[in-house]
Amino acid sequence: MSFSFTKLALGAAIGGLLSGAAMASDLVITFDDLNPDKKAAYEAAVEAFKAANPDINVVANNGDREAHKSTIRNALQNDAPDVITWYPGNRMGPFVDAGLFMDISDLWSSDPNLSEKFNAIKPTMSRDGKQWGVPYSYYQWGVYYRKDIYDKLGLSEPATWEELLGNCDALTEAGVTPFTIGTKFLWTAAGVFDYLNLRTNGYEVHNDLTAGKIKYTDDRIRATFAKWEEMLDRCSFVSTHATMSWQDAISPFAKGDASMYVMGNFSVGQYKEAGLTDEQIDFFQFPEITAGLPRAEEAPADAFFIPAKAKNVENAKKFLAFVATPEIQGEWNKSIGQLPPNADAGINTDDKFIVEGMETLSTAAGLAQFYDRDAPAAMAKAGMEGFQRFMLDPSTLDEVLEGLDKVQEEVYK
Amino acid sequence: MTTTAVNSSNRFDTSTTQIGISAVVLAVCLFVLFFVISTSMIQEMFGFARQIEARVPTFFARMIFFVAALAAAFFLITGTSYYKRNKVAMAPWLFLALGLGFFLLYVIVPIFQSISYSFTRWDGLYDINGVWTGEWVGLHNYKVLLDDPNFYTSLKNNLLWLILFMLAVPIGLFLALFLNQTVTGIRVYKSLFFFPFVISQVVVGLIFTWAYNPEFGLLSEVWSWFFCEMKENIVGNMTRVCSVDPPSILGDENMATYGIIAAGLWPQIAYCMILYLTGLNNVSSDQIEAGQLDGAKGWKMLWHVVLPQLKPATFIAVVVTVIGALRSFDMIATMTQGGPFGSTNVLAYYMYDQAVGEGVGRYGYGSAIATVLFLIMLVYISYFLWRMYMDEKEAR
Repeated sequence: MSFSFTKLALGAAIGGLLSGAAMASDLVITFDDLNPDKKAAYEAAVEAFKAANPDINVVANNGDREAHKSTIRNALQNDAPDVITWYPGNRMGPFVDAGLFMDISDLWSSDPNLSEKFNAIKPTMSRDGKQWGVPYSYYQWGVYYRKDIYDKLGLSEPATWEELLGNCDALTEAGVTPFTIGTKFLWTAAGVFDYLNLRTNGYEVHNDLTAGKIKYTDDRIRATFAKWEEMLDRCSFVSTHATMSWQDAISPFAKGDASMYVMGNFSVGQYKEAGLTDEQIDFFQFPEITAGLPRAEEAPADAFFIPAKAKNVENAKKFLAFVATPEIQGEWNKSIGQLPPNADAGINTDDKFIVEGMETLSTAAGLAQFYDRDAPAAMAKAGMEGFQRFMLDPSTLDEVLEGLDKVQEEVYK
Repeated sequence: MTTTAVNSSNRFDTSTTQIGISAVVLAVCLFVLFFVISTSMIQEMFGFARQIEARVPTFFARMIFFVAALAAAFFLITGTSYYKRNKVAMAPWLFLALGLGFFLLYVIVPIFQSISYSFTRWDGLYDINGVWTGEWVGLHNYKVLLDDPNFYTSLKNNLLWLILFMLAVPIGLFLALFLNQTVTGIRVYKSLFFFPFVISQVVVGLIFTWAYNPEFGLLSEVWSWFFCEMKENIVGNMTRVCSVDPPSILGDENMATYGIIAAGLWPQIAYCMILYLTGLNNVSSDQIEAGQLDGAKGWKMLWHVVLPQLKPATFIAVVVTVIGALRSFDMIATMTQGGPFGSTNVLAYYMYDQAVGEGVGRYGYGSAIATVLFLIMLVYISYFLWRMYMDEKEAR
């Protein structure tokens, strides 16, 4: 029995207090992506960290991304790893507010990389003036289009709203549906809304709306929806979008029945899997709507956080600093085809989408996270259902906006 | 005189020993259970780096001591002289105790818990010290609920489910009557009709989702025989062009709920059919013959002779169909996740969606929905229990 008591005392000491000397060599990481390329990149980074820190015993866990969204609650409250993946922006809000994430502002001010090379993304990682996580990757959004169809019809990448509408008319006439989209899981519609809103009203309005400072019935938001209605009218979307996931929606795009897709860069791999080649597809930034407005972009980031209950905080910080180095950021993102948040990191210059993405994001006036990460989850859910409803029947607009105002009033208390 | 004294003192002795030993065992087990075994202890003992790896061994260690404690408690109670004097009255309760305990812990307590959450605003999180992060808001959630169009949509869909799902009863009866004959291989036909009930709800949902798919589903294939032709598109691929687009059943807010109900009816009809088939086995042939002698045929025979004898089967069929309609959650989760824009929600799914689903985290609001659902079901459950009670009283 006395044996058990010592064990108990030891366990309690470890569980309750900061990491003592006994366990200083452990580091437990929880990652959330099982896609082969993402998994490989993560494992490679962990191996590199192990090689650089042979005295640390690293336990690297990985799990399904969707399941992680619910298991993280339990992990943070009961059985915290030392490092965990999550989303920045408002999505980290509830955990930060409940004190479940550790404030790592000290790391951001002392680490040479974090303090200087992450300025573009720093606001996203901040809440209450403190920093909470370290991003390892982000990617651009924009319009992916069938270059071969554009060439056949003699169209060029549109820079303005009028040009886009003109292209749509030409495409419709040729029997091609201008845009594909799959709204079954709602968030794709939010991408379209975000771009229309960023281009019509700009970055500030996007932030104010998702922060609950602007009502949905505001004239500026109505102007966004007016543009969307114009888009639905002339740049029609595939008619069955409400039953399709974003992957399903690639099928008409790959077949050549639809020619454009408002999407994130993670979709490129899927286009290629569907049989399209680099020559057939290309990318342009969502065209300007209000002339002269500073161009903001969607650039959702993925990040590592330290749970407040982490046991090996020093090792966790070491790992975060390691992930922030330009070498790791470069390697990691080259292998998953995304962009490194560290400005010094190298990119894969053979990938035209990555090159164009880097260009797009490095010249952007502001980086939005995405409607469902910038807005609180309850608002985002209602908002995206509203967008889908509007897309299926634009005449419900007033009802949708008034309904969203009601939810907004409730959610942002 | 002396013999009884010896006897009783002997009995007394065994009881004391029994009580003594079981009390000690119980105390030790409870002590170990609450103060010794912990995840961190097991973690240390086996050298696991993560607490989560220690969970399963911890669970088993706890189970062993829990079962030992239960056994000790059993011997402790049966050893008391009070128990011995009231054996007949006590024994059933002793056997029920474990079940009742779990029922209390996992059914009754959570009901009151979720009712109490419904008066709060809470995102489902405890802070690092385990302190609850919500706040008391009184009846606010119910006020919001009364003003929430999604709530009414869900309520309406619940009603639709209850009403349309009842179709399973007459259709099941019809199929049972149709299959209740002696032809070679009737067993094969019967089992084919019963087959859908064996498939899991999730699989049924998936099959129907595919069948309804307007791009490649069975329905759209049939549709394209009449309204579509294959044409070459701009890049030279063959593509389908329709004069009338195939219906997008799950993507249209007016059709989606009916689409899911139709999918749910498929196994439910099979269930009702099997209930009626067993019922038909017990229909007395004397009464049928008597009816025939009196000139009853067809509908009259069915209505006045067969159906009254099927009354118990009908009762069970209605009960399981109501329960089936309230269990629509799985079908909705697999087929539409409540979409398009919440138009196929039922109360149970809307509750899940608001509280747990996709991290929305409105636990207080979700609990308010759950409470309303509970009250609605309480009406039905009370009726059912009352009916059972009355039946038993009659039988006595």
